[in-house]
Amino acid sequence: MSEVKTVENMVSITIDGTTYQAKEGEYILNAARANDVFIPAICYLTRCSPTLACRLCLVEADGKQVYACNAKVKDGMEITVDTPNILEERRAIMEVYDVNHPLQCGVCDKSGECELQNYTLELAVDSQSYAIPDTKREVKDWSTVLHYDAGLCIVCERCTTVCKDMIGDAAISTTKRGGEPLDKAYKETMPKDAYAMWNKLQKSIIAPSNGTDYTNCSDCGECTAVCPVGALTGRDFVYTSNAWELERVPATCAHCSSGCQIYYEKKHTSVFDRSEKIYRVTNEWNYVSLCGAGRYGYDFENRVEGKDEAAFNAAVEAFKKAETIRFNSVITNEEALMLQTLKEKMGFKLVNPDARAFQKFLGAYAKAAGQSLYSYDFKEVMVTDFVISVGASLRNDNPNARYAFNNIQKMNKGAGLYFHPVGDNLVPTFGKNIEVFTHKVGLEEAALYLVLDLFADKEKLPEDVKSYLESFKSTTTKTVKEKVMKEVTETVIDEETGEEKQVTKKVPEMVEKEITIEKNGLVELLGKESDAFDAAFEKMMKKKESFSMIVGEDLYFHDRAENIAKLIALIEQTSPVRVAMIPPKTNSLGVALICDLDDEATGYTVGYNENGDFRLSALGDGDLDMPAMNQQEGTLTNMHKRVTPTNAALEYNGYELNDLMKVLVGAPELTVDWTEKLPVEKGFRTAKFDDLPNGYLNDGTENRGYALENITCEAEAIAVEKIDENGVLEGEIVYRCNPQRQFNDFTDKAHEIFEGFGLYAAPEKAKALGEKVEIDFGGKSITVDVIEDERMEGDITALADFKSEADVYSLFGPSRYRKVTIRKV
Amino acid sequence: MEVVSYRNVETFVQHIPEVTALGVWIKAIIILAVISAIAGFGTYVERKVLAFMQRRLGPMHVGPYGLLQIIADGIKLFTKEDIVPQNANRFIFMVAPVITAATAFIALAAVPVFPDFTIPEWIPVIGGTFVPSIASDLNVGILFVLGMMAAGLYGPLLAGMAQANKWGIIGAARTAIQFLSYEVVTGLSILAPIMIVGSLSFVDFNAAQAGGVANWLVWKQPVAFILFLIAGFAETNRTPFDLLEHEAEVVSGYATEYSGMRWGMFFIGEYANMITISVIAAIVFLGGYSTEGLGWLWIMLKIAFFFFLMLWVRAAWPHVRPDQLMWLCWKVLMPIAVINVVITGIVMMV
Amino acid sequence: MGLEQFKNRNVGQQEYVLLDLEHTPQTPMGKFKQVVKRTFKPELFVGLGVTMREMINALFKGQMHTIKYPFEKLPISPRYRAIHEMLRLLESGHYRCIGCGLCEKICISNCITMDTRYDENQRKEVSEYTINFGRCIFCGYCAEVCPELAIVHGPRYETASEQRASFSLFEDMLTPIDKLNLQQEYDGFGAVTPNADENIKKTPLAY
Repeated sequence: MSEVKTVENMVSITIDGTTYQAKEGEYILNAARANDVFIPAICYLTRCSPTLACRLCLVEADGKQVYACNAKVKDGMEITVDTPNILEERRAIMEVYDVNHPLQCGVCDKSGECELQNYTLELAVDSQSYAIPDTKREVKDWSTVLHYDAGLCIVCERCTTVCKDMIGDAAISTTKRGGEPLDKAYKETMPKDAYAMWNKLQKSIIAPSNGTDYTNCSDCGECTAVCPVGALTGRDFVYTSNAWELERVPATCAHCSSGCQIYYEKKHTSVFDRSEKIYRVTNEWNYVSLCGAGRYGYDFENRVEGKDEAAFNAAVEAFKKAETIRFNSVITNEEALMLQTLKEKMGFKLVNPDARAFQKFLGAYAKAAGQSLYSYDFKEVMVTDFVISVGASLRNDNPNARYAFNNIQKMNKGAGLYFHPVGDNLVPTFGKNIEVFTHKVGLEEAALYLVLDLFADKEKLPEDVKSYLESFKSTTTKTVKEKVMKEVTETVIDEETGEEKQVTKKVPEMVEKEITIEKNGLVELLGKESDAFDAAFEKMMKKKESFSMIVGEDLYFHDRAENIAKLIALIEQTSPVRVAMIPPKTNSLGVALICDLDDEATGYTVGYNENGDFRLSALGDGDLDMPAMNQQEGTLTNMHKRVTPTNAALEYNGYELNDLMKVLVGAPELTVDWTEKLPVEKGFRTAKFDDLPNGYLNDGTENRGYALENITCEAEAIAVEKIDENGVLEGEIVYRCNPQRQFNDFTDKAHEIFEGFGLYAAPEKAKALGEKVEIDFGGKSITVDVIEDERMEGDITALADFKSEADVYSLFGPSRYRKVTIRKV
Repeated sequence: MEVVSYRNVETFVQHIPEVTALGVWIKAIIILAVISAIAGFGTYVERKVLAFMQRRLGPMHVGPYGLLQIIADGIKLFTKEDIVPQNANRFIFMVAPVITAATAFIALAAVPVFPDFTIPEWIPVIGGTFVPSIASDLNVGILFVLGMMAAGLYGPLLAGMAQANKWGIIGAARTAIQFLSYEVVTGLSILAPIMIVGSLSFVDFNAAQAGGVANWLVWKQPVAFILFLIAGFAETNRTPFDLLEHEAEVVSGYATEYSGMRWGMFFIGEYANMITISVIAAIVFLGGYSTEGLGWLWIMLKIAFFFFLMLWVRAAWPHVRPDQLMWLCWKVLMPIAVINVVITGIVMMV
Repeated sequence: MGLEQFKNRNVGQQEYVLLDLEHTPQTPMGKFKQVVKRTFKPELFVGLGVTMREMINALFKGQMHTIKYPFEKLPISPRYRAIHEMLRLLESGHYRCIGCGLCEKICISNCITMDTRYDENQRKEVSEYTINFGRCIFCGYCAEVCPELAIVHGPRYETASEQRASFSLFEDMLTPIDKLNLQQEYDGFGAVTPNADENIKKTPLAY
């Protein structure tokens, strides 16, 4: 693998006389932060592109003034953070930021955690020299969760940057404020950068980029997290609490397999109700970005009065007569281990459809690849510059995978291939170099063969595969008009600073050419023009060094999952492409590793957060209450192949699974005592729960829990089968897929998540379907509402599976796609 | 019976109607009732006077000007729990306050407290009974009174020793030394007037000073008067000699463990003693009483003056140390008293 | 202030008179003389005279010091720290409290709690505000830290009640709207200093 991973060369730089080591090609600001050197900066976000809005990070590097967020380190670079001129600039910038900023710090939700306050104090701004008439700026609610107080906004553009570069929605952007023009006299008297920054600031304000008053986005709330002042906040949080009153509990988000690090922030409910309540979720936004489920789906706790002994005894009885335990993957590793122990000692069957499919797939992959886990985690994916996504509905399946895909396009000048049957109009907007294959359902193998064809070293491929790939190729001659890029040099005046710049532009010219074209049947099979794709692909591959592939749930729930797993192993073996997989649910990876799962449930069934004859439930609707994820300690295995600890934010008074274990087979005192017993042979460590860290270091190093060991084994010879076109579905197809921000019953329980259960369809399709439909799966049927999803395209509809009550998994069986009959109701 | 008025002092004794046992009983009851009431009232007066001298108002809320405060206090004392400490000598502990109260009242038996009178005839049973001014007109009245007051020493002494409390013991010890020592001064100081009058009967003292202010013994025996007053303060445990139960030093001295009415009996005894000393001082040195006209008022005023003096002194002066107390007694007062007796004797001889 | 000055900060013009104390006599004659001197000096009677004079002054010259509390009450200093009051804005009658929570934060006995919310006028509304007077130590920090002089200490020092809650809610402490004209500006702990104007830097305004 080392041949693809870029070895990061360290260079030495000198900041204020002290020598530090920094990664080559890193921005000065990041290098300084990694070395605990403070350089003031407001607008810069790690992992996003420099905005140059605040200009505070001005430093002197090798005698030249540069912006630390924008200038890369060079070996032997001498950097001075403060020079008299720079200090003057910074002071002027902070004074400008303070012009007309409302003096309502007393009520502001930032309540002292404000970067404007901090830098005003840091740069000792004790008087004001500038003034301009203020403009009325309205308070607006952008969506069901976003609250924007334009009066407080300092237009640092962090929100727009993160929305574009990380989230990919690009739902907000700067727009005209309609403010008064600056007094011309300032241009002479003010420091240059401060004037330029003010000139821009005075003209702009943030607004939804679609031109309406409301954002059309995934409501992730990341913009509220990065806002340095109190301008952007969660609607539900506005004016409810000061930051200092909230107790921060570091935890791991339990909604999807991203397993993001979050802080539950809690305090008492009200003056009269002293029981604690979570007020909001915050994150280390420089190092991890949350989705809407993580940020707003926090109040899913199961409040119980006390220990219900009768229910507990009934549960013990139920376990004694049960044959099967049905559960889902929204459980901790410890609980998974408990269930496995129960299986070993009492002979239960363990049924978990999502983890079972993933387990099988991972098993097949492991056999072929000779390693127990996939090669890349998503942090590694994020630093590659070419990314392929197969079998994952990026927008819905996993926010972190989507952020990685988007971030690669924005930050690494990357390119991407997106293979998915369901049309999506968001993914193409992530970057210019994205080719979207909206292929027919069942052609995932073809996608992988295409990847092999495009990236694999043909020498390494087995003969049969090589000849199979060749069989798709054909040659034709064609006259085409071709675009030729011509370089033109122009003189342009910069709008903001008024400086003149020499800009080199590439202007397309049309030239007619007669060429021989190789036609690739695979591309055609996947629904694209072969020659157009070839041209685009050639462009995409320019200056690309590292390649990654995201593999999603469609492939695990596939008739030919085993063959697909082998194909993926073959891709890794023969090409520089490295694979990261998205586990279908929160802890599917952990469950797949820990539990020995069965396919079918038989006899009396105990359901844990699932249907069953006796139901243990953290949702509060079962026969015996269990603690929800924000009420229990434990570890989760996330898709970054990392075991991360989570903590109890809220009190839980009832029984937990460990109490049942104590009675049934004997168990240690605490649930977290199981942590050190996690199976080492599967890559876990014998680490005590209390020793697991949960945070980030200054340079962004993820210091959370521990990384699973990727255990290598003897790899079998890979024998892959050809594409099976019999599995191709046509007609009315339903896809099992959750809306954004919904992952399971717990996100559904949260009051700030509004996405409903139903059949999601592209606008036109939704119109055709009407308000409510009955979906006939041939035998079983379900009646659901039709919900319009503007981001969807095409005829395939998506049925949400987050309600375990509806038991959508059993409707679909071993595939994520089903051919159905839909009737209007 | 007729109501007689005596114009001549010489005939006073001869004209005394027959004193019946019933008359003495009635007198005793009157003394007991009135003196107890006065003792109670005394506490009110003390609190008021001290308050005024400190520019306060004193008790104001129970009854007009706080007059009913005595009743409130009485109710409180009577209804309070009677606590006997676990390790106390129960019998002695319970008897001791009775001794104090009893001796104080017994002493008053030989003191002329009110003018004599005859109960009107129309009252049944006791009608026509003559009630004497002195319950028991002993010819050794002064000796009896001093003796009884000296016997009162046993009250605090036994109380302090019986209660199994260190403050009580210290209080008892202080009682013993203070009372015994000042008994000497009292006796010696009053010896000189006795020598002059030649009798131990209060009636004789009264008679000897009849005829106006000029005849008062205080002019003849000023030193004895002052000595008697000082010793009287000590005998009654008043400031500046209130060492027996000085709060700042011994909590409450011999009375530390007492509560309720038992403590109240000490209190009544103390105030009865104050009255006794005031009466003796008024009779022996300030001319006593006259049965004529407003004579009864005069004796009242004289007694009241001495009572007030005690309060006044308490408001003005700090108390002395025990060693100063003994020094004052044995090194200053006692020699002066002896010298006073000797000089009086010499003057009488000459 | 230097340390030396700090130590001597109370030294100044002081009207202490040093008593002319004699040495304790050593000889018996000396002791006797002292006794005689003390005995016949009228100092004892001066004491009696003083108390008598005070009594006469009190009884007849109206110099009685007793205040018949609770029928009479002494005026108290504006700096006195009794039960809190929440003041209103004189112009609008709206309560001054902006719900910033600083009093809640600074309270060293943790007795202040408040609930705030976003109201219809897009302002922060204080929906509940209580002080637990069972815990309050009347230190005055809340009044001092309050940026709006909204919470101040009032003159109500009689805090005995059957219910501690009797004066602990927002409505109990808030100036009644009909008595707004009687509201006194607080000049105790945390109030604006008389020379505040001199200490303010001017900010340029473009209007």
